Amino acid sequence: MSMMTSKREQRRAYWLLVLPAVLIYYAVLAFPTIFSIILSLTNFNGGKVFGSQMDFVGLKHYVRMFQDQYFWIALKNNFLIILISVFGQIPIGFALAYILFRRIIRYEGFFQTMTYLPNTISTIVIGVMFQSFFSPYGAFTQLGKMIDPTFENTLMLNPDMAMIPVLMVILWMYTGYYMIIFLANMQKIDQSVIEACRIDGANEFQTLRYLILPALSGVIVTTAILAISGSLKSFDLIFAMTAGNPARRTSVLSLYMFDNAFRGAPDYPLANAISTFMVVLSFLLIIVVRAVEKRFGGRE
Amino acid sequence: MGKEIRKKNGIALIYRALTYLVFGIITFLTIYPLLWLVISSLKTTQAFQMDRLGFPNPLFFKNYPMAWKIGHFDVLFSNSVFYTIITTIVVLILSFAASFGFAKIPSRATGFLHGSFVIGILLTLQSIMVPLFLMTNAVGLYNTRLGILIPYIGIGLPMGIYLGTEYIKSIPDALIESARIEGAGFIRIFFSIIAPMTKPVAMTLAIISFTGIWNEFMLINILASKEAIKSLPVGILKFSGALATDYGKQFAALSIGMAPMLAFYALFHKQITQGVSAGAVKG
Repeated sequence: MSMMTSKREQRRAYWLLVLPAVLIYYAVLAFPTIFSIILSLTNFNGGKVFGSQMDFVGLKHYVRMFQDQYFWIALKNNFLIILISVFGQIPIGFALAYILFRRIIRYEGFFQTMTYLPNTISTIVIGVMFQSFFSPYGAFTQLGKMIDPTFENTLMLNPDMAMIPVLMVILWMYTGYYMIIFLANMQKIDQSVIEACRIDGANEFQTLRYLILPALSGVIVTTAILAISGSLKSFDLIFAMTAGNPARRTSVLSLYMFDNAFRGAPDYPLANAISTFMVVLSFLLIIVVRAVEKRFGGRE
Repeated sequence: MGKEIRKKNGIALIYRALTYLVFGIITFLTIYPLLWLVISSLKTTQAFQMDRLGFPNPLFFKNYPMAWKIGHFDVLFSNSVFYTIITTIVVLILSFAASFGFAKIPSRATGFLHGSFVIGILLTLQSIMVPLFLMTNAVGLYNTRLGILIPYIGIGLPMGIYLGTEYIKSIPDALIESARIEGAGFIRIFFSIIAPMTKPVAMTLAIISFTGIWNEFMLINILASKEAIKSLPVGILKFSGALATDYGKQFAALSIGMAPMLAFYALFHKQITQGVSAGAVKG
């Protein structure tokens, strides 16, 4: 085999292996992402996608979006979900992982399995289930009446409170996810270092503070990033549980976009502006998290 | 000294009891809504309206066959199995083939192409919903199985290529070189040497893809309106809309929808949790 044919064969093999994945990926993910940005700057609203006349209208649809009160409600709810993740799921998940990791209790396999269980069930099933659970006709009303006979369950009807059950379910569903991530990374820490720490007289709290936490600072950043992108991805649960109601007070950005694109008369440009905003926001937030890490963390 | 230790043990005991209590509560909170769902599915709707918490007496099983029939669960099940298995197999093959190319065959294109896949892990699906809907309509794939499979495969590829490339990089070059000297082409090397060696990461990826596609809702909800090609999650939603007040059947439908994943989790909980932590190592 001469050197030339070998090089040519190598190149052919490379493209043969790589091209199918590249073509599909670019067709269904990369191109549509860019296409969405382009559409958000035009007045294209249906009709033939390829080859029809599109006029660029600049940032008009973004202005419309920022003037829409429902946009701000949805954005606020996305931030509420990020907050419940960062200050609820992540610390609770960390604490639970630590308890399992230090083998403070037995049956850790069982408890681990149970805590992660809600993650495996279809979000749609969970959404519909909790819709019925928290509805005035559901179990929650009767549970409330057991404590206080005059209890009136308006959780899902009251626009000011409707996010509470949604956030509770989000906490219920995903805490186990963060626990699994923390636990897997704690198990990478050398056990003998922890033993040495304990023999040197460090108590449980000091071991946690000066050994485990610093070792996991990178993982905490990763979970924060996951929480942010996860929050922006949240759609199924709210779609099934409240559909954004009452009065669209439990809407999130993805649902707000969906409503504009697929409910009633389609408004594709606005929907594309919303999704572009979401992509930009998620990258911005991730940059912020990384900056915070550089500033305060980075003891790895 | 002796007193000191006993005191310490006493505190430790209290701590341990507290942690048991915490995990006991969490386990209860996890199980209770699911148990409530199954219990309620064994009541008639009237019995449920009378008592929304208690055990059914007598047990009423008829909700299940009725929900199965109304929901067309036979169709939903076979569709879900179809989408999940085909997607998982194709994602495994395509992403590991590309990973092999990226990891072991030097090319100037690798940096850009591989990088664009890694960015894909962070992209939100919402950002492609509208264009994808318009595109599938434009090319005549709306409401077809192929029009659902192709996006499913596409969204599975970034994670597959990320995990696959990392893994295949760690396979020694010498193995490939010696096969090259014996005259084997790259494609043959991929199928006979590389593919069998990727078993552990293939398992992880298969689990991630399997659970992801089985539960996927957002895309199929906009890409399929025909009953015959819908999957479980879309089909189940019917019990929340028009049939929302028929609680008995709704709970039975939800229980049916929940059962396969619970069984899958019971069988593979170790691999699933491993897959989750492997998939999370990014950002």
